[in-house]
Amino acid sequence: MLDQPTHTAENPPQLSRRSFLKTGVGGALFLGTVSMTAGLTGCATAPAGRISPVKSRMDASYQFQFLSKDDIALFEALLPALFAGALPEEPNKRQFEIAATIERIDQGIVQFGAPNQKELRKLFDLLNFAPTRITLARVWSDWPSVTTKEADAFLKRWRNSRLGLLNNGYIALSKIANVAFYGHRNQWHLTGYPGPPAWMVEALPQFKNA
Amino acid sequence: MSMNDPIARGLASGWNVVDASKLTENQTAEADVVVIGTGAGGGTTAEILSKQGFSVILVEEGGLYYQKDFKMDEQTAYASLYQEGMSRTTADGAISILQGRCVGGSTTVNWTSSFRTPEQTLNYWRDTFGLEGLAPDVMAPWFEGREERHTMAPWLTPPNQNNSILRDGCEALGYSWQTIPRNVNGCWNSGYCGVGCPTNAKQGALMTTIPGALDNQAQMFHGLRAERLVMKQDRIDHLQATAMGSDGVTPSGVTVTLKAKHFVVAASAIGSPGLLLRSELPDPYDRVGKRSFIHPVSATVARMPAKVDPFYGAPQSIYSDEFNFKNGHDGPVGYKLEVPPLHPGMAAGVVPGHGQQQRDNLGQLPWLQSVIALLRDGFHPDSPGGTVSLRDDGSPALDYPMTDYLWKGIRQSYLDMAEIQFAAGAEAVQAIHMDAAWHTSWKEAKAAINELPMKPHRARIFTAHQMGGCGMGSNPEESVVNGFGEHHHVANLSIHDASIFPTSIGANPQLSVYALAARNSVRLAQKLAAKS
Repeated sequence: MLDQPTHTAENPPQLSRRSFLKTGVGGALFLGTVSMTAGLTGCATAPAGRISPVKSRMDASYQFQFLSKDDIALFEALLPALFAGALPEEPNKRQFEIAATIERIDQGIVQFGAPNQKELRKLFDLLNFAPTRITLARVWSDWPSVTTKEADAFLKRWRNSRLGLLNNGYIALSKIANVAFYGHRNQWHLTGYPGPPAWMVEALPQFKNA
Repeated sequence: MSMNDPIARGLASGWNVVDASKLTENQTAEADVVVIGTGAGGGTTAEILSKQGFSVILVEEGGLYYQKDFKMDEQTAYASLYQEGMSRTTADGAISILQGRCVGGSTTVNWTSSFRTPEQTLNYWRDTFGLEGLAPDVMAPWFEGREERHTMAPWLTPPNQNNSILRDGCEALGYSWQTIPRNVNGCWNSGYCGVGCPTNAKQGALMTTIPGALDNQAQMFHGLRAERLVMKQDRIDHLQATAMGSDGVTPSGVTVTLKAKHFVVAASAIGSPGLLLRSELPDPYDRVGKRSFIHPVSATVARMPAKVDPFYGAPQSIYSDEFNFKNGHDGPVGYKLEVPPLHPGMAAGVVPGHGQQQRDNLGQLPWLQSVIALLRDGFHPDSPGGTVSLRDDGSPALDYPMTDYLWKGIRQSYLDMAEIQFAAGAEAVQAIHMDAAWHTSWKEAKAAINELPMKPHRARIFTAHQMGGCGMGSNPEESVVNGFGEHHHVANLSIHDASIFPTSIGANPQLSVYALAARNSVRLAQKLAAKS
């Protein structure tokens, strides 16, 4: 498990205004009077590692390597809005697909490599730190309390914003989730994609068991 | 694992291939030539030099993936075969960069389209950059040679429906269109080129020049990232490289030092400038990383009355150059029209949306068709290209500001693509743009497209072709290498990839890279032989 420092007031997340403005996720944003480096305590961004089974998810063997517990809570709040109309109705199945998609998001981010992981860490930290969650995302409650309607409103605000920074944040969140969800075989039926042709799977050596 | 697979056979027969992630101790290796990158340029170089009897070491940052790994699965392919797990973008995040990171480079994941460098481009290079030796008739034998090496030929199988619609729309409007030549041998017409060819039909570097080099005693390290070229006096003495760990992206702590008489950099238009910048090589006129080009791509999607199944069939088989060169180099930007395959993961990532609307849009996938426009950047003063520079951690980043000139071209391309799709019978067309909607008539679409804000992020822009950053030219004040890819200021350094292009190509670039790398490697072999 990656060992990342827990952020405290002495060791704040790397959110200095200048570094944020310089980055891909940063762009040109005026942060107003929010002080990014003062008063940050208990901002836990260590990877979640193994977490307890989520409702119907029987197997808690997946080891999170990037997403922290707060990041997972963020995605648990966003995915019902990101995939409205596409998630199973049945609560256990629904919860399973949400949990499985979050695991795939984590796996995907591992392969992004350090530079873009750093960008996402800034984005997630911004969304998980109440002062910036409120001023930039206009989300008043913490993510576990956010309703699907509120999550959708937040996504639309960032999508429609005049600020390129927030558009970029919207695309980052929606793209990584969309690819992890619609790209997986459990969701192929939603796009009418039959999967790789069966005749090819039968004919090619890489699909035969060793 | 199949023993009909050239890579499996070669490894079993004793190829000198080192998985750097398995190394536990720092080490040094030495050869006549070190080639950095195993893509279109690196593979070509290594095969030619090793066949001439030179000892060659190939260095590849990505992993060695081959038939056993190619299971037609988007998610594993995007994570393992593409730069930054398919998350690479330009510095402001506005342009998505599709680029390979694996043995074979982008040729392992490209869509097989094979075009000679357009004559207009070669002539422009001669006129503008003093590149006298690249006239079309001089380059012809080099194109022929690489077309043969990579089994390139016009695709004779009927185009899939996705591509037929581009053809039909062009026909209806009197626009020119042609069949695309493809570098395939025994292709099953399945359409999974972008996730690694599952049948070994695609004749990229992985199936041709890399085995050719390894058959001739070249050594290849994969999972090994080139960090710095270290000079002694006026020559490069060695390359410092870091091994990746088992995840392929985190350094393991092991370093490898590679010594050679000559170094060939072929690490891509983003990687090569990055390596030269990290190495702090002589760059008296500040040219490295400048004039970086990308063929900015815009797209429209159409809903057709009959099924298209845009995820099956050879992905690119029809193109139109109707709008590519007609305005000359001084007029509005030209673009080449092609068709992209639409698999669910990629489609979900490209169509900018979420929720019920996204679900409804993607639910139409079997009836969706798409056209893309590849803008021919770099030929006009208002298209000066982007800049590759180093992030704090030494990794390279491309900053590509879109200019008004290019935005005008993006808007015009939406109009031309939508008109073509309606002419081919589309029920509805939508630009891939955050503010675009479905329109059920060309008149409506035209009015709406003319109102779309041409702004970063809102217009979804992509690049699958990265070029420039170590441009060729006869004048050292305006270029990094000469017409043979030889560095102006460092005697034992050559660059043999797309980073040497002084402008974009105006066509899918793999054949341009193969041909220049072949010509430049033959010359390099002669020079090295003369020295010894």
